[in-house]
Amino acid sequence: MRPFTYERPADVRSAVAAAAGRPDAAYLGGGTNLVDLMRLGVATPRTLVDVTRISSRAIEETGGGLLIGAGVRNGDLAADPLVRRAQPLLARAVLEGASGQIRNMATVAGNLLQRTRCPYFQDVTKPCNKRLPGSGCPARTGDHRNLAILGHSEHCVATHPSDMAVALAALDALVHVEGPGGARTVPMPGLHRLPGDEPDRDTVLAPGELITAVEVPHLPFAARSRYRKVRDRASFAFAVVSVAAALDVAGGVVRDCRIALGGVAHAPWRAEAAEAALRGAAATPEEFARAADAELARSSPLPRNAFKAPLLRNVLVRTLTDLAEPAGFAESEPVETP
Amino acid sequence: MSGTETRPDRGQSRERGHGPGVGRDLGVGHSAPRPDGTLKVTGEFAYSSDLYLADMVWGATLRGPHPSARIRSVDVGPALAMPGVLAALTCEDVPGELFYGLDRRDQPVLAADRVRYQGEPVAIVAADHPERARRAAAAIVVDYEVTEAVTDPRRAAFDPSCPAVHDGGNVVRHQPVRVGGDFTAPVVVTGEYEVGMQDQAFLGPESGLAVPAEDGGVDLFVATQWLHVDRDQIAPCLGLPPELVRLTLAGVGGAFGAREDLSMQVHACMLALRTGRPVKMVYGRQESFFGHVHRHPARMRYEHGADLDGRLRYVRAEILLDGGAYCSSTPAVVGNAASLGVGPYEVPNVWIDAYGVYTNNPPCGAMRGFGAVQACFAYESQMDRLAEACGLSPVEVRVRNAVSQGSRLATGQVIDSPAPLAGMLRELAAMPLPPEPSRTAGPVAVPPPAGPARAAAATSVPDPAGVRAPGAAATPDLLDLPGGVAQTTHGEGVRRGVGYGVGIKNICFSEGFDDHSTARVRVELLGGEPHVLVRTAAAEVGQGLVTVQEQIARTELGVERVTVAQADTTVGSAGSTSASRQSYVTGGAVRAACRAVRERLAVLRANGETLAETLERAGAVEETRVYRHRPTFPMDPVTGQGDSHAQLALCVHRAVVDVDVELGLVKVVELAAVQDVGRVLNPLALEGQIHGGSAQGLGLALMEEVQVVDGRVLNPSFTDYLIPTILDMPPMRVSVLANPDPHAPYGLRGAGEPPTLSSTPAVAAAVRAATGLRLPRVPIRPHDIAMDGSRYGNWAGDRSL
Ligand SMILES: Cc1cc2nc3c(=O)[nH]c(=O)nc-3n(C[C@H](O)[C@H](O)[C@H](O)COP(=O)(O)OP(=O)(O)OC[C@H]3O[C@@H](n4cnc5c(N)ncnc54)[C@H](O)[C@@H]3O)c2cc1C
Ligand code: SF4
Repeated sequence: MRPFTYERPADVRSAVAAAAGRPDAAYLGGGTNLVDLMRLGVATPRTLVDVTRISSRAIEETGGGLLIGAGVRNGDLAADPLVRRAQPLLARAVLEGASGQIRNMATVAGNLLQRTRCPYFQDVTKPCNKRLPGSGCPARTGDHRNLAILGHSEHCVATHPSDMAVALAALDALVHVEGPGGARTVPMPGLHRLPGDEPDRDTVLAPGELITAVEVPHLPFAARSRYRKVRDRASFAFAVVSVAAALDVAGGVVRDCRIALGGVAHAPWRAEAAEAALRGAAATPEEFARAADAELARSSPLPRNAFKAPLLRNVLVRTLTDLAEPAGFAESEPVETP
Repeated sequence: MSGTETRPDRGQSRERGHGPGVGRDLGVGHSAPRPDGTLKVTGEFAYSSDLYLADMVWGATLRGPHPSARIRSVDVGPALAMPGVLAALTCEDVPGELFYGLDRRDQPVLAADRVRYQGEPVAIVAADHPERARRAAAAIVVDYEVTEAVTDPRRAAFDPSCPAVHDGGNVVRHQPVRVGGDFTAPVVVTGEYEVGMQDQAFLGPESGLAVPAEDGGVDLFVATQWLHVDRDQIAPCLGLPPELVRLTLAGVGGAFGAREDLSMQVHACMLALRTGRPVKMVYGRQESFFGHVHRHPARMRYEHGADLDGRLRYVRAEILLDGGAYCSSTPAVVGNAASLGVGPYEVPNVWIDAYGVYTNNPPCGAMRGFGAVQACFAYESQMDRLAEACGLSPVEVRVRNAVSQGSRLATGQVIDSPAPLAGMLRELAAMPLPPEPSRTAGPVAVPPPAGPARAAAATSVPDPAGVRAPGAAATPDLLDLPGGVAQTTHGEGVRRGVGYGVGIKNICFSEGFDDHSTARVRVELLGGEPHVLVRTAAAEVGQGLVTVQEQIARTELGVERVTVAQADTTVGSAGSTSASRQSYVTGGAVRAACRAVRERLAVLRANGETLAETLERAGAVEETRVYRHRPTFPMDPVTGQGDSHAQLALCVHRAVVDVDVELGLVKVVELAAVQDVGRVLNPLALEGQIHGGSAQGLGLALMEEVQVVDGRVLNPSFTDYLIPTILDMPPMRVSVLANPDPHAPYGLRGAGEPPTLSSTPAVAAAVRAATGLRLPRVPIRPHDIAMDGSRYGNWAGDRSL
């Protein structure tokens, strides 16, 4: 691990000042991702600016939705009654991630900004355009079983690993940011970038910008929503693919819907083509399959992750079918797992 | 939900303690509590990574990043220039022999002119802080010239143009087995199978503390499986006589074979001798993945010929085991794969070629099941295919071919102790099946698949499409369905499958190895009460050997208070804690030493005297005994014939799975096992072994694999190398038989490994039954199942780049 200095500023303003103009400063949340990457030599900040004590840990109801402090621990977010009632898919997505211990440490901001699990990215002895721009992308020809089928580029085929971010992307969340240039908000499907020719940039945030909160607008029909995750073991594993969905059906017709996909792209993937195909369509499995195909028409799987397309189709159709059930399955309370 | 049933009618525990009533409930046959149990669950147990001395310094290792490279130069100057650094050593500083190894001394203490696998140690550093040591190691400058890496074991074995990883060629061992000559049959099934590289995934990383001694020697406290073989490899490398290298077992956090080879032992001793300070080394998790051998990945081709009634006429097999860069125990692994390569079946004609090869992949060696695991997956997959071809049930085809006492193995060895395989299978098949999957209604009716329908050879669950229970509010137990708490299904897309697996494992070291153990037993008065001290060099690695030694001493001597000393090299070798052999061999040594003590006491004892009175008058009594199991013999290098094994053990599994065939998710609903252990020494510890071994086999079937691409490990962490969690492990139904082996102490049969063999093919067979897929490779992961087709039709696109 490279030596670093550790700072614990007293407020948001001094935190931003501490990081401003220092490209090798990093904000420290729960540290569950950053510290791991520092141990591996993947992240080499010279300064750690610990923001856990100054980041809000509150979840408040505003007029238009929920305002979730950047310092809210993942475990607290998933357990929050407001969240569980209004946005069950968000609570569920968070609970499907990591383990109880990690969720108790991990923060909302840190979860959003966690880095890819691409094996080459995590191994400093290997080339990787995301870690070392211009060094190449061994994943394209090597192991990309877990990587992207949508929106990737010749420079990078990584996926974003966060479950929570997929739910937030479906819910049109707004990320509140405080930076050297002042405060701004970034709409959720747009926070994370597609790799293009700059795969080293995960997000649109400028260096030194601090996430202070995430605002989730009210979406009444999200009270019936789902997060479905396929993983390699029953618990404590990243998504192979996942679906966050909310559906508004009236008279057998889809009035509105929100769909985001995880494990398939460099960013949580808002399934706009599928949503467009569904609005006004009959709420039937056939239509859901057509919508899935509309989205997958944009995909370009690699040889070893081609399975993700049919898999995603199956999860998506099943999730929507489930949501369209008039009585529906009484989805049980999210379960805390090891 | 889980329970072990032991048949009391089959030689179960009988107390033999001769002080009436004394030690009765804690002797052989009882679930005596483990002395380390409470400490471990309360987090108070001292593992090797907890060792501490006030003046100790820390060692770290620099490892080569390339699977294959020449080393042009190594410059430790930058490390030595760093503050707090006491030493930085390379191969030039090795005081004695430059190489070590379990079978062949082919592994350099520190790489000299080349590295042969990713992560090979090149230099070591001691510094006053672990992080300083790590940074200093990273500061060492090594100039590599990358060379072509041999990563395809088939090419390594058979392509003469393939570069040699070591002088002398890439085939470490080729062991044929040849029986009979008639390779014709009316029914023939063939298959190619693969087993991925499994890791032992112990929790306590490689660690130890080396303390330089005034006599010029060194004391090493280390977590290992075999103190003496460690010492016998370390001492020559240090240029010291063995008596100056003294090893004491430190707390072991799991082993499963991964601690049979050396890791940091020589390095820590070198640094301690050079600096004159105690040196502690602890690998991190990532380093640990490079610091120990793994299970050999295997590629296997099998052909089974049988009569129409399913009786086997012949088996031909080629078993190719990738040993990676160094020999480790590859020859013995090949021996097991060859000698047990047809499984516990009677086969009149056998043609097996088993190979272990060098490549530039990670070194592979011992892991629970040791060569028998890989072959078992292949031959059991073949038995299912044979059943299908002959129209028999999986159980029936196995019963028809099952060995029994008196049968010959493919090596010609006669099984000369009970081997009631057919009965075990019948018992297993007769166990009640778990209830059909809980389900609520499925969603609305869905059109049938557009693509080709899958074969569903399941004990099938009707497809729920179209079935809708009105007002179905009952939620199934989430944990019972594939996908579990993720609620990916309410029962739709789920099919049930049942599969069987049978395995045979050799117990103890084979092929002529002088396999023995030594025990010193002392009876003395402590505080006026008789007390037994048992001393051996046998490594407790979590399996419960300390408890078994206590139980044996109580039973043999009738004394309740027994202490088992921390294992060290002040007593003769105990052999390795592997091959399921310690209860047998060290148990045998402890029993022999206890009996010798008992005989002495009988002579010393005056009429009517209590034991305490005898000891008071005559003083302590101490005896040391060496125990050997009966000799074994090498396999003929051409025909593979020979009585190569001391003991054979059988376990059979039935797996019941629910598979979400659309999402590729598998839920193992139940594992049932029947195992014959000869004699139950400790029912609770035995149950733990059967559950744990079964879980490790389940892991291999469904998720565990060290992913290696071009000689490089892609997932060296427990975030990315997945082992089963408690949610993946089903309840077990276990039946234990106790048909004594007349050759073994107490009639016992080693129990730790057999369940690891048979659970893998049982789970794989169950998934095949549920999906109708061939699935020739383990681990089976979602992408192997959910590739195409579903109730929603196929995704039409094939846009692979
Ligand atoms: C074993 C394991 C399994 C996991 N499984 C899953 C899983 O299944 N699903 C899943 O979604 N996640 C999973 N995770 C990831 C986990 O969710 C993340 O590690 C965690 O959410 C990161 O939060 P943190 O607060 O610890 O972030 P940190 O590690 O502290 O920071 C992560 C990044 O965010 C930056 N950062 C932190 N706070 C701010 C801020 N306020 N403003 C700007 N930048 C900031 C840091 O500089 C750093 O770049 C797993 C992690 C582990 C270790
Ligand atoms: S996919 Fe992206 S992260 Fe992975 S190796 Fe390629 S560039 Fe690096």
